[in-house]
Amino acid sequence: MSRSHISRRAFLKGSAIAGVTAYLAPFGSDAFGALFEERVLSPTREDWQLAESTMRFRLDGIAKVTGSKVFARDIRAKDMPHWPDQQSHAFIIRATRCDHRFEDIDLSRLENAGLMPDRIVTAEDMARDQIEVPRFFGPEFFLPKGETPLYLGYPVAMLIYHDFPRYRLAKNRIRFADDVVVYGDKTPLPEKSPYGAFRYIRVGGDTPFAEDTFSALQETVLYPDFRKRHPVWPEALENGKDTEKAMFYANQLQDRLDNAPDDWLVFEGEYHSQYTDHFAMEADNANCWFDRDKGDMHVVCGTQSPQELVNWMPELLSKSRFNSQRFFLHPAYTVGYGSKDATIFPYYGLIAALYADGKPVRLANDRYEQFQATMKRHPFTMKNRLAVDRKTGKFQIFKQDLTANGGGRANFSNSVAFVGTTAAQSIYYMPNSDLTATAIYSRMPEAGSFRGYGTIQSMSATELMVDEIAGQLKMDPIELRLRNVFKSGMKNTQGAIPAGHLRGEEILHKARQHTIWTGREERKRTYEAQNPEEHYGVGFACVQKDFGHGAESAFSEVRLTPEGRIELRNTGAEMGTGYSTGQAAVVATWLGRAADQVRTAEMEWDDMQMYETASPYFISQDEQDKAAQDPRWTPLLLQASSASNSAYYFSFPTLEAARVIFRHGLWPAAVDYWQRGIGGGQSAPYVVREENARWEGGHLTARGMEPLSLEFLAKRAHEMGLVTGAITHAFNRWEWSRADYDINGRTENLPLDGLAVQYGQGASDEKKALMSSKRGYHLLTRKNLYIPPTQRNNAGVTYYSACGALVELAVHKGTGKVSLLNHHTFLECGNAIVEQLVSGQIQGGAAMGIGHALYEEMPLYEDGPGNGTWNINRYHVPRASEVAVWQQTSEILPPLSRTDPPKGIAEVVMIPIVGAIGNGIAHATGHHFRSLPITPDKIREVL
Amino acid sequence: MTPEEPNTMTISTRPLKVTINGQAQPVEDIPEELMMLDYLHEYRNLTGTRFGCGQGMCRACTVIVDNPDGSSEEVRTCITGAHFFDGKTIRTVEGHAQRDDAGEVKALSTVQQQFLEHFSFQCSYCAPGFVNAATVLVERLQREPVPRSQLEDTISEALESHICRCTGYVRYFEAVRDAVLKTPGTTTGRS
Repeated sequence: MSRSHISRRAFLKGSAIAGVTAYLAPFGSDAFGALFEERVLSPTREDWQLAESTMRFRLDGIAKVTGSKVFARDIRAKDMPHWPDQQSHAFIIRATRCDHRFEDIDLSRLENAGLMPDRIVTAEDMARDQIEVPRFFGPEFFLPKGETPLYLGYPVAMLIYHDFPRYRLAKNRIRFADDVVVYGDKTPLPEKSPYGAFRYIRVGGDTPFAEDTFSALQETVLYPDFRKRHPVWPEALENGKDTEKAMFYANQLQDRLDNAPDDWLVFEGEYHSQYTDHFAMEADNANCWFDRDKGDMHVVCGTQSPQELVNWMPELLSKSRFNSQRFFLHPAYTVGYGSKDATIFPYYGLIAALYADGKPVRLANDRYEQFQATMKRHPFTMKNRLAVDRKTGKFQIFKQDLTANGGGRANFSNSVAFVGTTAAQSIYYMPNSDLTATAIYSRMPEAGSFRGYGTIQSMSATELMVDEIAGQLKMDPIELRLRNVFKSGMKNTQGAIPAGHLRGEEILHKARQHTIWTGREERKRTYEAQNPEEHYGVGFACVQKDFGHGAESAFSEVRLTPEGRIELRNTGAEMGTGYSTGQAAVVATWLGRAADQVRTAEMEWDDMQMYETASPYFISQDEQDKAAQDPRWTPLLLQASSASNSAYYFSFPTLEAARVIFRHGLWPAAVDYWQRGIGGGQSAPYVVREENARWEGGHLTARGMEPLSLEFLAKRAHEMGLVTGAITHAFNRWEWSRADYDINGRTENLPLDGLAVQYGQGASDEKKALMSSKRGYHLLTRKNLYIPPTQRNNAGVTYYSACGALVELAVHKGTGKVSLLNHHTFLECGNAIVEQLVSGQIQGGAAMGIGHALYEEMPLYEDGPGNGTWNINRYHVPRASEVAVWQQTSEILPPLSRTDPPKGIAEVVMIPIVGAIGNGIAHATGHHFRSLPITPDKIREVL
Repeated sequence: MTPEEPNTMTISTRPLKVTINGQAQPVEDIPEELMMLDYLHEYRNLTGTRFGCGQGMCRACTVIVDNPDGSSEEVRTCITGAHFFDGKTIRTVEGHAQRDDAGEVKALSTVQQQFLEHFSFQCSYCAPGFVNAATVLVERLQREPVPRSQLEDTISEALESHICRCTGYVRYFEAVRDAVLKTPGTTTGRS
């Protein structure tokens, strides 16, 4: 999945962006050692490790279960070393009408109560002080007087208080007051052109494995211009340019659908997915201090994309009239489900600090503000047509016209739309397809990144559609799925061949044999006889979800001390998913046990001297080829922690670093020991090869060799001056970059575009002289670099994990209320890094999916969250009694082998249960719903 | 640790006397309108009790009030004024584990240990509320045991109002079941 990426030479610590030097010190980093990192991240290992990678509990578990300060929301000025103790507070006033001009704010309610703020920040301040919104976020931070808000909830002012009591009381006084924002003339509701559109056309060859006649990967994606807010498509020409050919084939597919043979069923259905809130329990917040004397800006916040903030915040400061020299970002542990990825919120915190008279100021949303202001899930409308051969049940042509409502700021709306449509095929092979996605503007509060990222909308629709088609064909729904299931080596709707073996078919077979499915008709009769007021139903759905952004990259460092302590740091952020725990565990493959210390969200990678120059999504092949001549260039330095990317992509450079240490440190140290003594020592009678190496109980052995502990080997590797540390950088564009590296006299081709190594303490002076980087690394120079070609950007996706869900439910005939009786999830995730974390993701994903299917929904406009009155008294988040908490089960497919990579699953686990619930309701009531959520009101209408 | 004094108006205040986690807190004049959550956060720097919704719906802000008769109860601090707690004894999430003089955790409570071993939470924002609710439940069951066959229903009833957005409740509930079963005298009948 590709997401917007602003072209810019990215930040590394010590580098300057337009004169402002940026520093990043996450909680847990060396730079932030004065706080609580050792206790959070490094419990004694015997406490939390059993053996190898089996974790007894999360690395951050003790801190979290004892209420330690792990969230940015917990931090006050007095908690921050070197900050003044006095804490100021701020809140934002927002416009709630888009049909009038904004005239002014009226704070007489506060004035009468003696609660006037110490500072009011408005658009005038932004203009005077030249504070510009980063381009990605679109229109101004604050609405200027005289203008009509582009969206509901547009900020018009920020109030700053230098004490807590007045802040609290002031906020209480004007919350919900509709006379604080003063409106002027009535104006038409704002309108704008769509944010963007995409069209993926594919005409397959004679078989799923034959060369395509036309595809996005092979030829092109269509990106139309707009005229009067409607897309303008190229002329259709069979022998024209690729874009013209695309339209020729699109017209051909349209004609075949319109004039389908009698033995085809051409199904048509319009599907709707609703507007929802993340309800990330830690609401957005930032605590910032602008040290005017030194020109230092300090920012504490929770973020999924720290690299974005260290790029854009210094740039904002440098363009402003404020004299800012240095920028410090302290990202904390947080939770987002996407809501803290590329959000504009932290910038308001930074602005508050600029106007707080040199005092630290805290901007923390309450839940009403959070509903009003934070990003939401895009509502989708999907017009689907699917032609099916009635005799074979085989899908023939799939056409989709998808509209994603992005709200008032574009954010990631374009990529959410195209990720949605390119996922719409779900687990099915579509021989021919024409998929159009359009992201539109509206006045609702903006939509952005959200777990599922367009695919929960599109794949849920497909799964509902497939069951309805099965009904029309009078075919078992799983049988219809099996006839069309996507198999390894087939091409997706973009024309790309997904990575590895696809296991959706295996899930279908398992589901068909599961007791929830096999006994459903009999149980329906029994249940309905026993509960005459209820309809009983069983539903199934199965999806395969991509993971990753389409351009992935990360740094990772693994270092082994002479005592055998494993220290790890990398660029991913802990979002509550157990990322840090997973990273600790993953190195066990090569180092025999989990890491002792993990530092996340690290951005100090000066040792590698790497840089980027352009967006990896839009760079031309020529530009890439030229830039790659410099061995320090990479298409992308860092990626945000989102899109389920940690398990696979962020683990990748960590694993490679550990592997380098094993192959060039531990293994030679072991072999040297085993060969000691007359006649070649204990190893001579056997043939001992590296592929025989095994870690057993924390000891390395190979073909009967004496088991050696990590501590022993680390000491020897250090004494021998072997490789004991590695920093890696990897880049992926639906495949990994590769290059040759000379390591200790051996040339290796590795899936890395940057590598530095550290030699043990006994290394020769000559080797030590090579370790000249800041952290004492020898920076290697890559050769024979291969970077995935830019054309692969059109692949859309290639990495998938499959997930299916069976649901058993009851529908009350009188109220329409749906009760979940039981559900079972099937998940394929490669080798789970920490199985309990995966299982927890399944259970949590199912709960969120249940909310999407049955409960969660908001109006888009004036009655919706933009009016500032929404909270969970009317936004229903599933409770335990609604998720079949004691009944639900799940299973993780065994990996094909121990070498399967771990796969990203944090999003896919919430999706199939949506379709399964819809299909279960159809089984119960006989009605196929096409609009989510399926509420009691909707059900009562059809009952 | 007192937030800066208001500088322009007289805010109506009253002295508040409260015992938190076994320690009597300094008596301070606290604004009458202040919610207990704000008092914990801004006056005591005890931020483990979380702000979730501000409506008393999600229960992330739950603390335990220990009554003189030995019973205890959950109270939501985002909708309960600080002065409601005047003269009361409360426990927050920070007070459950045993700590050494330096504040380092030496031993977790049974509930905390089970949450840890069951991987009950991900982000953990809701964990303080669950720790307190489960602790109240376990302590109640010590006083008023239930038949083993009713344990799951009892847990469901006790924790139903608490919202978890990450882990879907299963691991919390299973952990509480184990915590109850590891605590002698909480259930009757055969397990």
